[in-house]
Amino acid sequence: MAAALPQEVAPSFDEVDRHVLQAFMETPGLAYWAWIGFCFTLVGIGVALWTRQIYEGLGVTGLRQPVMWAVYITNFVFWVGIAHSGTLISAILYLFRTRWRTGVYRAAETMTLFAVLTAGLCPLMHLGRVWFFYWLLPYPNERYLQPDFRSPLVWDAFAVSTYLTISALFLFMGLIPDVANAREHARGWRRIFYAILSLGWQGTDSQWRHFSMAYLLMAGLATPLVLSVHSVVSWDFAMAQLPGWHSTIFAPYFVAGAIFSGVAMVITLLVPMRRLLHLEDVVTPWHFDNLAKVVLLTSLIVTYSYITESFMAWYTGDPIERMTFQMRYFGPYGWLFWLMCFCNCIAPLALFSPRIRLNLKALWVISIFVNIGMWTERFVIIAGSLATNFEPSQWSFFGPSITEIMITVGTFGWFVGLFSLFARFLPIVSMTELKEGIGWLRQALRGQLYE
Amino acid sequence: MSETVELAASFVAEETCAHAIEALREAHVGQSRIFSPMPCHKIQHAIGLPPSPVRAYVLGAGISGVITGLLITIGTSWEWNLVAGGKPIVSWPPFIIICFELMILFGGTTALLTFMLMARVPAFEPTAGYRSRFSGDRFGVVVVCDEQQADMVETILKQVGAEEIMRDAA
Repeated sequence: MAAALPQEVAPSFDEVDRHVLQAFMETPGLAYWAWIGFCFTLVGIGVALWTRQIYEGLGVTGLRQPVMWAVYITNFVFWVGIAHSGTLISAILYLFRTRWRTGVYRAAETMTLFAVLTAGLCPLMHLGRVWFFYWLLPYPNERYLQPDFRSPLVWDAFAVSTYLTISALFLFMGLIPDVANAREHARGWRRIFYAILSLGWQGTDSQWRHFSMAYLLMAGLATPLVLSVHSVVSWDFAMAQLPGWHSTIFAPYFVAGAIFSGVAMVITLLVPMRRLLHLEDVVTPWHFDNLAKVVLLTSLIVTYSYITESFMAWYTGDPIERMTFQMRYFGPYGWLFWLMCFCNCIAPLALFSPRIRLNLKALWVISIFVNIGMWTERFVIIAGSLATNFEPSQWSFFGPSITEIMITVGTFGWFVGLFSLFARFLPIVSMTELKEGIGWLRQALRGQLYE
Repeated sequence: MSETVELAASFVAEETCAHAIEALREAHVGQSRIFSPMPCHKIQHAIGLPPSPVRAYVLGAGISGVITGLLITIGTSWEWNLVAGGKPIVSWPPFIIICFELMILFGGTTALLTFMLMARVPAFEPTAGYRSRFSGDRFGVVVVCDEQQADMVETILKQVGAEEIMRDAA
């Protein structure tokens, strides 16, 4: 039996492997499968209602003139936003060699992939004739009809499909060395599965040489991509002349909001996952402390954007713009606006306190507030602005139907279900990168990095 | 005629592994292959190879993505000259967005494909000298050399701090 390592050098590489491998190599219990069953039951209900919607038409939703974009588009913007933190943590912080990313980036990256998958479904749900979704893409056809590349919706189709492809490849590439490690410990079907997924990786000097360069370049490409995707999403609104949408600050405002909501979702998922999968020794309070600081910073940027947006509406002197914002604060959706302000601007201020940043229960509650606040923000911008357009005689306020509510719940079931499946069958924490930054992990476990 | 042997040494730390590579390079013995559970700058530096050519392919792919974007946007706009909102048929600013996205798409996919091609994955046979721990918690140096040199190589590896050395016929 190997002698125990002295305390001052723990954890060793072996211990890192043991902690991470046990999280996904052990056979899941009944409670896990019940949870998966619950998630996919929600998906089933959503799919059934979507099928009904396809059969009967969009009349089963609450969409009525003038509010023709509402819950589905809100869901789309929300899920694309959730995706952004994964790329921020995996690519942007990789380029900056940020120390704390190693313990959390795989979970964030996985979340990105499933959030983009979910987001990609939302515009399809919004289509009356979903079977013609491919009309957004250029393809040779007998009538020489092509998409209008001056339309932001076409930019969106290119941006989101590129984002989905690149985030899937980036996640897959990072998984290769870890899955190869899992292959060496697995038996039965898992060994075959991991052997196929690891592509026979053995970590030779030649493999690492090309891997490191390709991974660096992928991170370099993903960095401007993440900024462009949510900018493009914001231009879906900002390019229109509708009061409440037509604003030049939308791109940075949306990108900051995306990172804000995404990092909050990382915390929402990581806090229970860390406990359930016994990952306390590799995902430490130091990691959460830093995630909380990102939430705080982006919350302040989002608050600043709300103030700027309101100031500009007043400063233009345009009565229509002013009326839109007056209705936003005090109209029928006013309570949603104030809820959004509380969740996005007030609640995160608690994170100025280091004690709260290190209190995972409090942090988890704040992250839930942010999730609610950011979904609400998108709804207020999208449905609220459409409801009070240029012509007061057309004003009409939207109320979601049960179809939209349950399909929205289904998207959450789909996202959480896929994430839960991944976490139990693939390495949700990167062993390779934890070993690269083992010194920092050792310091974090001794509390030297945040006390 | 002397036979070729394979010496596989394992190391606990990347520093000692890097020292072993440097010592073997200085002694001009055999050909060595390195295994590690993570990317290590010290080891890559000790091996002394130039940066991977993957970057050149990614650059080429990125440029071809931009060109493809221009061909698609301008080509399809000319195919059906529909004036919308009084804007020019070839409207450069929005087309740049499509070119940018395709640059990233082509560059990213090429990064993965050229990595796979150059790293020779998928690999269906284990590389000679590979041990399962080299994917987990150990660094490996595998030296293929003449039988006469084997003792000297073993001495060097031991001197720099190899944890374990195994000798096989190559």
